[in-house]
Formats: sequence, C-alpha cells, structure tokens
Amino acid sequence: MAKHEGLDEVFAALADPTRRAVVRRLGQGPANVSELAEPFTITLPSFMKHVRTLESSGLVRTSKSGRVRTCTLNRDRLALVDGWLADQRRVWEQRADRLEELVTDRQETP
Amino acid sequence: MTVIDPRLDLTLERVIRAPRETLWKAWTDPRLLERWWVPAPAVARVERLEVQPGGAFVTSLSEDGESYVGHTDAVFLVAEPGARLAFTNAVDSRWRPASPSPVSMTAEINLVDHPDGTDYRVVVRHADPAARDRHEELGFFDGWGSVTAALAALAESGDLS
Repeated sequence: MAKHEGLDEVFAALADPTRRAVVRRLGQGPANVSELAEPFTITLPSFMKHVRTLESSGLVRTSKSGRVRTCTLNRDRLALVDGWLADQRRVWEQRADRLEELVTDRQETP
Repeated sequence: MTVIDPRLDLTLERVIRAPRETLWKAWTDPRLLERWWVPAPAVARVERLEVQPGGAFVTSLSEDGESYVGHTDAVFLVAEPGARLAFTNAVDSRWRPASPSPVSMTAEINLVDHPDGTDYRVVVRHADPAARDRHEELGFFDGWGSVTAALAALAESGDLS
C-alpha cells in the first residue's frame, strides 16, 4: 500500500501519551533528555525508548554534546499530520479504508 | 490530468482486493456510498447522485441519525463507468460557482486493473486557502489536543499498516 511517505511512523509515534507530551514540550523549544524526562515517573531507559521512537519517526532530532543529549522538534515532520492539507489527507485515507473494508467484506464473506 | 502541486494536492494509491466494477458500484450506488462516505458515528444520506458529467453529487450528514445538515454539494466532471470518476465542489450541484468550507477541491478517482484486484488511485486538487495562516504558531499548538486524539485513535486501531 502506497501511503504518504513516513506518515505511518509519525502516526505511530504520536499514538502514545508520553511521546505526545514530549512533542508538546518541544514545541516550546529544544530541551535535553533529563529535562524532558523529569515530569514522568518512568525510568530513564524506558524514557529513552520513547525518545528513540520519536527520533526514528523523524519528529525529533537529537544531538549529543558531552553527556548531554539535546532534542529538537522537526516542525516540517509534524506538519505532515497538522494543517489543512493533512486534515484533507486524513479524510481521504479514512474514506479509502472504509471503502476497502466494504468492498472486500462483500468479496470475501464466506 | 497529471499535474500535481504538492503544496495543495494530495494523492493516494492502494491496491484493493476487489474488482473495478465493485469499487465503481460502491461509489455510485447511493445505499453503498452512504456506508463509507463519512466516519461513524456520523451518518451520511445521499440526496442526489447523478453519475454523469454535470450531474449532482449531494449528501447530508447527521451526527445523531435524526437531524441532517448539508455535507457534500458538488458536481460530476467525468464519469467513465468502472474506470474514472471526477467531481468538484467549486461549482455546486445547481452549477453555481461556490466557495465551500474548508477549501474547494476537485477529486479524481481512477480504477485500474491489478493482478490482486484494483489499483485504486485518488488525486484531490485543492484551491489555495491563502487567507489561512498555515504555520501560525499559536493555532498550531492550540489545535494539537483534538488532532492528536484523532490521530491516536487512528494509529491505535492498527489501520495504518
């Protein structure tokens, strides 16, 4: 299935409340990992998993300076799922999902 | 018509395991179209569906299944049975030039044979909503909560793979 490039990864990354909170925080400006982790009760290794998921989706870029890893929001990436065109894309993708479900149910009903 | 402006247009392509004729029917039979045109729990009602160039494409939408409001008010541009359908809402079903919200568009649906069924291709071309502040920072993050709730539901439903 050809979908908008990388959109699945971005959606998947945003499907988690911790990661959404991180994205929201980074909307205010770059922050290092320990600052980002502070509001959460999870362990640092667990938190780093979230950071890596955000990084591989392209939503967040990180850079290391000494022992400090700084995270920056990639707004171009976020624009994939925000804005009017992304809204319209979502409408049409979901329409195609429902249409596909309808026609394949009709075909494959035992 | 293959000119795409990535700032304004969206394309969607997927292989659907059903013959072209079945997809054509799902688009052009009012009772079938009602079953997928809008997301549940909203309900669509097809008011007019005259699948021919210049024909009306009018639907209304209900959140509660009782009171309906206008939804789609468009006109078909192209109707080639089993193959191609195009419509626009820049002209309404009475052929009056319109400025629909949120943005006017022309949708083109192509159905192409594929070994596994049908190659389903959609192109939606939009007018430029120049008056909108697309990347205005405040609106960007204010709108975040509702957008992500919808996104999360979508992603968690597993429909994205």
